[in-house]
Amino acid sequence: MEKLLSPDIGLSIWTAVAFLLLVVILGKVAWKPIIQALEEREHALKAEREATEAARRSAEELKAVLDRELAKVQQRTQEMLAEAQKEGAAQRESVIRAAQEEAARLTEKTRAQLEGEKNRLVQDLRKEVAGLSTLAAEKILRKSIDASVQKTALDEFFRDLEKNKTRLES
Amino acid sequence: MDLKHVLEHHILDEVWFRLPVFNGLMPWSKHLLMMLIAAAFLVLFLPLAVRGKLGILAKGFVEAIVVFIRDDILEPNLGHVGHAYLGYFCTLFFFILVCNLLGLVPYGATATGNIAVTLALAMTTFFLIHLAGIREHGLVKYLHSIVPAGVPFWLWPLLYPIELIGFATKAFALCIRLFANMIAGHIVILALLGLIFIFGALNPWVGLVVTAPVSILLVLFVMCLELFVAFLQAYIFTFLTAIFVGGAVHSH
Repeated sequence: MEKLLSPDIGLSIWTAVAFLLLVVILGKVAWKPIIQALEEREHALKAEREATEAARRSAEELKAVLDRELAKVQQRTQEMLAEAQKEGAAQRESVIRAAQEEAARLTEKTRAQLEGEKNRLVQDLRKEVAGLSTLAAEKILRKSIDASVQKTALDEFFRDLEKNKTRLES
Repeated sequence: MDLKHVLEHHILDEVWFRLPVFNGLMPWSKHLLMMLIAAAFLVLFLPLAVRGKLGILAKGFVEAIVVFIRDDILEPNLGHVGHAYLGYFCTLFFFILVCNLLGLVPYGATATGNIAVTLALAMTTFFLIHLAGIREHGLVKYLHSIVPAGVPFWLWPLLYPIELIGFATKAFALCIRLFANMIAGHIVILALLGLIFIFGALNPWVGLVVTAPVSILLVLFVMCLELFVAFLQAYIFTFLTAIFVGGAVHSH
């Protein structure tokens, strides 16, 4: 049992030699390939991750651009809509005004026509009345003027004539 | 055959013969054989597993551990210079792990439960610390950086030996920690199994009917614990080595 804690130096040397040889051999046949494979895989993963990241970033940029475009388009649409509304309102206004003017003009014209008609009728009526009056007067006169009246009238006429003659002579 | 012999048979190394070189310094022993089996297994298993020849599970297992060592052990402690040492740390982890696990296989023995083996591993860590420090800073700057910056000059004669003792202590602690952890489970298992024979000596029926089931359940539990400890100690040895090397590389 005393041997338990007294190292056999020869075995130590064997161990060291065996271990160091193992380090060299395994370094060549085992660790080199596995480390290379691991690094390759990690490189591939890293490259893939970077590619994904780049793709994501470009997609985000594209999205931002599209969003901006969309906002612009929406704004344009809004503006156009507002303009069209304004234009429509103006047009409606002008149509209404034109219609009102037209109506007013028509009213005026009609009134003027009616006025003219009325005047003409009045004129005609007056003429008619004058003609009828004259006719009536003539009839009355013709009936009332008899010989005496004629004589008196003629006498008066002549007298007046005489008077006028003397005045003219004097 | 008493418990002492059983324990010695299971825990101690069994030297079959000594090579006739260096005054018989180099042994040919059970633990050396186990170590070579572990090394041979790794040399065969890992390249196949890494290339996916043993199924996705083996490949995933190895890859997960390599990634763990790289990202959670080396990266925080050594930073970007850690990648140069990744192979060393992976080898360290798998070598200790397989040696630990071989102790749980029938007829196997725990090479990492031999203080000579853990001493050698601790010494490689000890040298790695200084080599990494020298490689990072250069010899002069590294020797200068062993003592923390800002220490007054007259304290150097005191602090330099303390720091050197610190290095030795770290290596010694690594050595003892792995060794003790790996034999502790085995001793507990043997003690629990020994209980059966102690009670069996009182009355064979008590040993067979009462003690044996309890002991075997406990042994099963300790075996599971040992399985966990095999991974845990491999991790701890690797992790502490990374911390010490990181301290030398990023010294102030």
